Amino acid sequence: MKLSTKGRYSLETMVYLATSKDLVSIRTISEATGISGGYLEQLMIPLRQAGLVVSQRGVQGGYAIARKKITCHDVLLASEGEFTPTPCKDCTQTTICKTYQIWALLENAVIDYSKNVYIEDLAGHLLEGQKGGGM
Amino acid sequence: MKISTRGRYGLRLLVDIAEQATEAPIALSAIAKRQNLSEKYLQQVALLLARGGVLTSVKGSGGGYSLAKRPEEILMYNVLDLLEGNIAFEEEPPANETAVQQVIRHHFYRAVDRNVRTAFGELNLADVMKADWFSYEI
Repeated sequence: MKLSTKGRYSLETMVYLATSKDLVSIRTISEATGISGGYLEQLMIPLRQAGLVVSQRGVQGGYAIARKKITCHDVLLASEGEFTPTPCKDCTQTTICKTYQIWALLENAVIDYSKNVYIEDLAGHLLEGQKGGGM
Repeated sequence: MKISTRGRYGLRLLVDIAEQATEAPIALSAIAKRQNLSEKYLQQVALLLARGGVLTSVKGSGGGYSLAKRPEEILMYNVLDLLEGNIAFEEEPPANETAVQQVIRHHFYRAVDRNVRTAFGELNLADVMKADWFSYEI
């Protein structure tokens, strides 16, 4: 089980966006996160489609977080797709399969937790750290 | 987030061996047949579980694999960690870790990992072998 780079970068992008009320340019996001501009543009596509970011074109353009109460699960769902356990090929026994149930336990532990962590709270920690000058 | 084929096959291999409820080694060919999985692939996964101290390999005719410990002593968290090659979200931070990465690592990845450990608790192979294990209290 691995969280993909795409998922990790999407979380980083969202947390950074949540620290600003204004539109943020790709260049600024790139400087803060170390993610290349080209890759950021790619990451934004599913995030925008899922209604998690809004964008504006033009000189003053950029991206902003779309709303409050976005969870880490929302972001990972948009960037990585549904994370449900993968049944073995052609399996119709997932409800009674011992091994499937173990994977379900693992994934539920991840999913349930991710649904309770808000991007804005992570952004709050980030701003706090910057205020303290420690980071 | 995806579970690897190695993880899924490895777990089926382990549960199959436990289901035979015998201390005699189980031939991989028999498991391959029962589980309809490639024996060649099972060999790699069995080796991984043997290296991790979950299975014992017996060579020669009548050889195969058996559990290295009692099912009660085989913790499922450790098995998944072994099969998936680390199931933790938190990774070793890079030298140039950004402030954003550090916040997510401390307040999300580390916390998710803790939640997964709590969910698995002491769940072991013997629990899993019980028919009603998934009503297991967590």
